[in-house]
Amino acid sequence: MLLLRRLGVPAFGLAAAVVGASVACAQTMPLPERIAQCGSCHGEDGNSRVADVPSLAGQPAFFVLNQLFLMREGVRRVEAMTPIVKELTDGELDALSQHFSKLEPKASDEPVDTALVPRGAELGQKLRCASCHLPTLAGQDQMPRLARQRIDYLFTTMKALRDNQRAGADTQMSSILAGLSDADLQALAHYSTSR
Amino acid sequence: MRFTSTRSRRLAIAMIIAAGTTVPAAAQQTGMSPLDLSNPAASRQDANLRSFPTPPTVTPLERLPVGKLKLPAGFKAEVWSLGHPGARTMVMGDKGTLFMGSRLIGRVYAITTKDGKREPKVLLQGLTQPNGLAFRNGALYVFAINKVFRYNNIEDKLDNPGDPVELTDKFNLPDTIHHNWKYVDFGPDGKLYVQTGANCNICEINPGIHGQIRRYNADGSGMEIIARGVRNTVGFDWHPATKELWFTDNGRDWAGNDGPQDELNRVAKGMEGANFGFPYCHANGIPDPDIKRPNPCAGVVLPAALTGPHSAGLGIKFYTGAMFPKTYQNVAFIARRGSWNREKKFGYDVIVARTQANGTATLEPFMTGFLDDTKNEFAGRPTYVLPLKDGSLLVSDEQNGAIYRITYAAPQGKRN
Repeated sequence: MLLLRRLGVPAFGLAAAVVGASVACAQTMPLPERIAQCGSCHGEDGNSRVADVPSLAGQPAFFVLNQLFLMREGVRRVEAMTPIVKELTDGELDALSQHFSKLEPKASDEPVDTALVPRGAELGQKLRCASCHLPTLAGQDQMPRLARQRIDYLFTTMKALRDNQRAGADTQMSSILAGLSDADLQALAHYSTSR
Repeated sequence: MRFTSTRSRRLAIAMIIAAGTTVPAAAQQTGMSPLDLSNPAASRQDANLRSFPTPPTVTPLERLPVGKLKLPAGFKAEVWSLGHPGARTMVMGDKGTLFMGSRLIGRVYAITTKDGKREPKVLLQGLTQPNGLAFRNGALYVFAINKVFRYNNIEDKLDNPGDPVELTDKFNLPDTIHHNWKYVDFGPDGKLYVQTGANCNICEINPGIHGQIRRYNADGSGMEIIARGVRNTVGFDWHPATKELWFTDNGRDWAGNDGPQDELNRVAKGMEGANFGFPYCHANGIPDPDIKRPNPCAGVVLPAALTGPHSAGLGIKFYTGAMFPKTYQNVAFIARRGSWNREKKFGYDVIVARTQANGTATLEPFMTGFLDDTKNEFAGRPTYVLPLKDGSLLVSDEQNGAIYRITYAAPQGKRN
């Protein structure tokens, strides 16, 4: 079992009929309770006040659904999320995604270093962030909202993408951020959140 | 598990932080490219030039766009299987199991046939883009990004594949992830062919590592470089008569709507190791606008055919079956997944390439109908093709997680 996990290979008996598995929609917990569970880390209003925990408010519904799906699938591994996502049905993934997409994103409680913003804006232009994440950086479809996201989370995530450590995203992000310094990523984080 | 107590919440946060900061120093590996070097002023930021999502969920039968498909007279398309999101590469086992690789969803499927009905199941999951599959002597070879596994006698243990033989270190493939989801296949020489794509859109790659097609012994030993300067090929096959290698290659992005066009290439006999131009020379001799050097196309093997701007030609298979008309003997079918970095969408079809002895090829449409030109919308994305023993042709559709089967029956009064 341990060996299998290390290799990124499913445990015994996981091979399951695909069609059958995906039609199950029964909820394992009432939705309000589930939302409260998410809110204990991600913020009751979907705006996180906890270091390195992302805000979900105003994220594109498909983005949240896709990430939850990939975490449940074992593609994207976030230890704290693993036991929770394992319980989620397709119906819950959908309901949670819809819920968080409709909440209002609020500015992060971290201080924005305004001196970094122009450098971030310049890099953002050069890297064409707006083509996928939109000029408002509100995100669309599989591409997340960056505006008003937590600065520490943006930095940690971009660092992981740059260093080929983050699964569950298009590999383009790894190539786009390749070669950037940590200072560049900080500038991008401060710029993005302030959009 | 509920995070109701402060203690468990703190624990959860600590775990998240730990997960986010365990970046080994080795992450700054060799072969890391500098920034994408395309000139942002030359291609504006535009939400019409972005990639499209692939649903991780099942598309039900009634929503499959098979009714839209158009084929030459006498050909017919039907749904062969469905319910396997992210459908891409297809290889057939000796005992009739179709194995299917994927990208983001990280699954390998096994599709069996019982009483004429397809039964898909998730064979492996949680892998990083296991697009590369090959089958030989009862074993399934699975190439994910940075991982290589071999499952011996796989068709006897589809319910419980067990521990694979890990070959990752033997193949020693680069650990960069962009353009490094794999396409692999056994050649007529019995060697296992695998590519290492450019780890960027456009940049100076390390030519000793990236932009290659390589071949290995099946155990990962004896590596040889078969082609260089190849940006991103994820499909190749060997001509049935000449045994020469033909491969599709995706051209660079962010240099305009019209290209440089994607390519169909040939590695002619005696030309193993030849240079196909990336990053300095694209398509049939277009110097790169951003990465310049004198005589960029000198010594570069130009393509056999241009396969269209941003059209994303992926899977290619030569046809030797008995079902289709004789004019299809030894032609290559190419699945074009369709453009993203182009305002007016292009591709989303299967084309036929008629290869010539002189190394050129002519192209013609075969399966169309997924792309609505008027609305600039697509209904499906063909990724790979696979001829079956009976001469019919399978086409995988990544967008809808389905496989279509194309058959031929001579129209009345016409002989095959």
